[in-house]
Amino acid sequence: MAPPIIELREISKSFPGVQALDRVSFEVREGEVHALLGENGAGKSTLIKILTGAHQPDSGTILLRGQPITIPDTRHGLKLGIAAIYQELSLYPDLSVAENIFMGHQPSNRFGVVSWRQMQQRARAILHELDADDLDVSRPVRGLSVGNQQRVEIAKALSHDARILIMDEPTAALTQHDVDRLFEIVRRLRARGVAIIYITHRLEEVFLLADRVTVLRDGRVVGETMHVSQTNQAELVRMMVGRTLDTFFPKDAAEPGEVVLEARNLSYGRTTRNVSFVLRRGEIVGLAGLVGAGRSELAQVLFGITPAESGEIRVEGKPVRIRNPREAMALGIAYVPEDRKLQGLLLRMNVRENTTLAVLRQLLRYGFVDDAAEMRLTQEYVDRLQIRTPSQMQQVANLSGGNQQKVVLAKWLAAKPKVLILDEPTRGIDVGAKAEIHRLMNTLAQQGMAILMISSELPEVLGMSDRVLVMRQGTIVAEFDRAHATQEAVIAAAMGADALHTTPAASTTLT
Amino acid sequence: MTTETRAATSAQPSRLLSALRTQEGVLFLVLVVIVIVLSLLSDRFLTVNNLLNQTRLFTETALLALPMTLIIISGGIDLSVGSMLAWSAVMLGFSWQLLGLPLPLAVVVCLLTGAIGGAINGALIAYVRVPPLIATLATLAIYRGFSFGISQARSARGFPEEFAFWGQGQVGPFPTQFLILVVLIVAMHLLLARTGFGRWVYAIGNNELAARYSGIPVERVKFTLYTLSGLMAGLAAFIFTSRVTTTRADAATGLELDVIAAVVLGGTSIFGGSGSIIGTMLGLVIITLLRNGLLLTGVKGDATFMVIGLVLIAAVLINNLVRRR
Amino acid sequence: MATSTTRWATPARRSGVTLQQEGVIAAAILGLTVVVSLANPDFFNTTNLLDIVVNTAYIAVAAAGMTMVIVSGNIDISVGSMLGVCATIAGELARNGAPVPLAFAVAVLAGSVMGAVNGILVAYARIPAIVVTLGMLSILRGGLILVTQGRWIESLPEAFFFSQRSTLGIPNPVWVMLIVVGLVWLFMKYHRWGRAIYAVGGNAEAARLAGINPQHVQFFVFVVNGVLVGLAAVLYASRFTAIQSNAGQGFELAVISGTVVGGVSILGGTGSVIGALLGSLLISQIGTAAIFLKVSPFWLQAVQGGLILLTVLIDVLRRRRFA
Repeated sequence: MAPPIIELREISKSFPGVQALDRVSFEVREGEVHALLGENGAGKSTLIKILTGAHQPDSGTILLRGQPITIPDTRHGLKLGIAAIYQELSLYPDLSVAENIFMGHQPSNRFGVVSWRQMQQRARAILHELDADDLDVSRPVRGLSVGNQQRVEIAKALSHDARILIMDEPTAALTQHDVDRLFEIVRRLRARGVAIIYITHRLEEVFLLADRVTVLRDGRVVGETMHVSQTNQAELVRMMVGRTLDTFFPKDAAEPGEVVLEARNLSYGRTTRNVSFVLRRGEIVGLAGLVGAGRSELAQVLFGITPAESGEIRVEGKPVRIRNPREAMALGIAYVPEDRKLQGLLLRMNVRENTTLAVLRQLLRYGFVDDAAEMRLTQEYVDRLQIRTPSQMQQVANLSGGNQQKVVLAKWLAAKPKVLILDEPTRGIDVGAKAEIHRLMNTLAQQGMAILMISSELPEVLGMSDRVLVMRQGTIVAEFDRAHATQEAVIAAAMGADALHTTPAASTTLT
Repeated sequence: MTTETRAATSAQPSRLLSALRTQEGVLFLVLVVIVIVLSLLSDRFLTVNNLLNQTRLFTETALLALPMTLIIISGGIDLSVGSMLAWSAVMLGFSWQLLGLPLPLAVVVCLLTGAIGGAINGALIAYVRVPPLIATLATLAIYRGFSFGISQARSARGFPEEFAFWGQGQVGPFPTQFLILVVLIVAMHLLLARTGFGRWVYAIGNNELAARYSGIPVERVKFTLYTLSGLMAGLAAFIFTSRVTTTRADAATGLELDVIAAVVLGGTSIFGGSGSIIGTMLGLVIITLLRNGLLLTGVKGDATFMVIGLVLIAAVLINNLVRRR
Repeated sequence: MATSTTRWATPARRSGVTLQQEGVIAAAILGLTVVVSLANPDFFNTTNLLDIVVNTAYIAVAAAGMTMVIVSGNIDISVGSMLGVCATIAGELARNGAPVPLAFAVAVLAGSVMGAVNGILVAYARIPAIVVTLGMLSILRGGLILVTQGRWIESLPEAFFFSQRSTLGIPNPVWVMLIVVGLVWLFMKYHRWGRAIYAVGGNAEAARLAGINPQHVQFFVFVVNGVLVGLAAVLYASRFTAIQSNAGQGFELAVISGTVVGGVSILGGTGSVIGALLGSLLISQIGTAAIFLKVSPFWLQAVQGGLILLTVLIDVLRRRRFA
């Protein structure tokens, strides 16, 4: 077994009011994928930041190949061969792929004059190693798919000749196809002796990809680092949350009622093509498909953000027109968008102002906001969704991801919708909050709400849905009831039968 | 909580108290210091007469600063307010003197001109989605060009005596325009801090996309804000004309900078999302009193501009330091 | 791959668009030349066309600095006041017997100092650029009036009128403009620091992670901008026999308009100095064209503003089609 390339010994770090890391010891070896798990707030980000040099530890030592070192800043970290790929990709949208890769260390002479030719050649060479020859190094990054943007990020890390690569939830926003390509790249890097620290919320990835796993909770290492063969998902969950979750996806059987929403041949541009389906009272319908299959786009058509160009929508049997979100809301449709920070929240405003935003009109008296009514309404949803916040006046930016997501949910539940469209409702939130949201969806369905859930996590789709619709290339290609919705069937439909033959790896990557 | 910002506050009295610790609080202290220093420097400064007189000069800028506060909170900016004022004033003189409209009707033309100028800004920004800085930079030139083109750089004068009431007259001890201003300050404060519309303005400034996804009529709100800004410029033009009894095409050149300085000095974030009418008014009072005080102590007119700049930078700097702690 | 998966809302290929924007402006300049020449053949002669370039030179030099500032994600609206201060310093020194080259050098130095003050406040004190430069605009303008008491600077030595002379048959301002724009273009395209400006304007956090210090970059662009405004002031001051105390008033609008019309995105991260040069030329040309088309001078500003709006509208609408 190779010696650790980097080792943290008894690292502690505190911020005002929080002990982020408490005597954490952690090591990574050359040529291994080391999974790092933990709920949000467990200390993973702080650990990464200490490794990259963005933060300095209060105490403890960092050893690189056995030698104690300090990493005063990220530039220094990069020089030592430590690179990180964050969830929020850090690219320059208007600059070319090659420049994105080499920004800050372009091939240049001693006067600092950049050689564009050399830079593009080297960029091509690196992308070739990543099996991404299809990327044009001279085109701007704006407009690339998330998967391609991520490949640019990885190429950037490799251009620094990184020996230690930290990946923070790299698959969170990827299509299944891109996930496969990413795994392939990670395995290649491992074979070349790169040490990879892999952070994820998707436990199945740990067993697919990692050699060893370490769990953090409340700033401490839980138990000790284990080889993945020595553990299982249930144990890891227990370690992460410190309690047993009976089941991830507690969907109860439901008796669907009459049709609430019906779409007939809906089309918008190239992203939504001839979509027809029905949604019944009290049922949860999962909308599966690869990212880019047009699921969010369909949701945006239904919600009037990009109104349908042709086709018909019926609400409770009556044909309706939905030209903007207001009209959708008036018809009892609510949409919890994919990206809560970008599309959902007013981060610098407080819980109350966020909660009542969509129903503010109902709280007005002669145009003025009725403070008492607003406070009552907010409290109702804070209690009901168990939003953990010191007060209604707390800025949403200061809440955890799970609680932020609950605030977005509260905003839309306050509108008392008949149809709730949830777009990636549990992306990037911790296991505990995830289970609470699943329970909530259950309750809502039982109370008669019709729920359309878009999710890229297949286990979530299969576990929560009464029916599963599968989209591909802008249209619905398959429908399964709960009994017939298996992973294999859904994946086959999502990728198209031909695709399944050409990439046999796809079916194995989702356990 | 180091990142405490005051988005959409000033609704509750408790929040008003906590706001005193931030920009408005700092401004208030600065104001007190300025009043004390200036009254020691000049015995003519702290007199009722002088202070009331200041409100005459202050009103036109204040009228523009009210909607500017809302616009900046919504994440926009309006650089064309000075030009809209001049264009409106020119239209007043033009329609009265050359077209021979009765004066009240000419005033309506003046207000309408402002509103139309603002509506054009609003349409460009809200519906065509031109970035506000560029859109109003262009209309700044265009409206100023209209003022020169329509008036051919000639000024209109000789307004009847009763017309002077709005800019030079008094109601009781108060200058007429001051009373108009007070009413509008209260109205705008209530609009921003207490109504659903005001909440929408903050929401758009915070996260326009999220606001749109929450069913807020973003375009309509923006269009309304810029139109309101134009209308206020029209009103300011009317009072200005009444005060100086002439309409000139180069009136209010550069006034947009005074207005924006007052708004930013008043603690409204230039990036949008937070700010208040009270802050803006404090900012404006400070600028006006400083200028007046310096004039009284013998500093030459335009040199008082220096003070605006210094106070603006110092206030934001201090505020930054206080918040970073 | 569907565009829906991108992280940026508009999948327009922005740097491609910028190139197109430069093309559009160049085409507009040519088109305007043709149209006005047809309407009034007097327009199309070398002296006149060169005059347009000469009159644009000092604006274009400042626009080169403004391009760097805007690409870095900032703005500088104090350039007009800075121009006035630098021009006054050069004039006062020369009038009081200082050697002319020294007077010019001090003016440029003064520009760099003022730029450095802006830079420190923006980069290190972290005050938004629009606030800092708005403040500086007032401070410098007020200070200038305080010092000059509104008097014009006259009776300058003959050697002072650099801008009225030519070298190798080409007016000096045009030389300076070409050299400055050329150097800034090369710098921004081929130098690591130049690229760092795009990085900081495009994504400051990413730049920081790549080992670029955004604060140093911002400070740097403001200093360079100050130097270029100082140079512009020298060109401006040495054109006419007197320097007015209100020199440079409204200059910031001319410079920012030229830069933005030339396709430098007000949001930062993209644009080129060639575009800024073309944008400045177009706006000047419109001014001259209006005279030849016998447009009343009083309508000139409206026409210029209208054309600024038109170019911006074309750009906005074209980008929307991409999206």
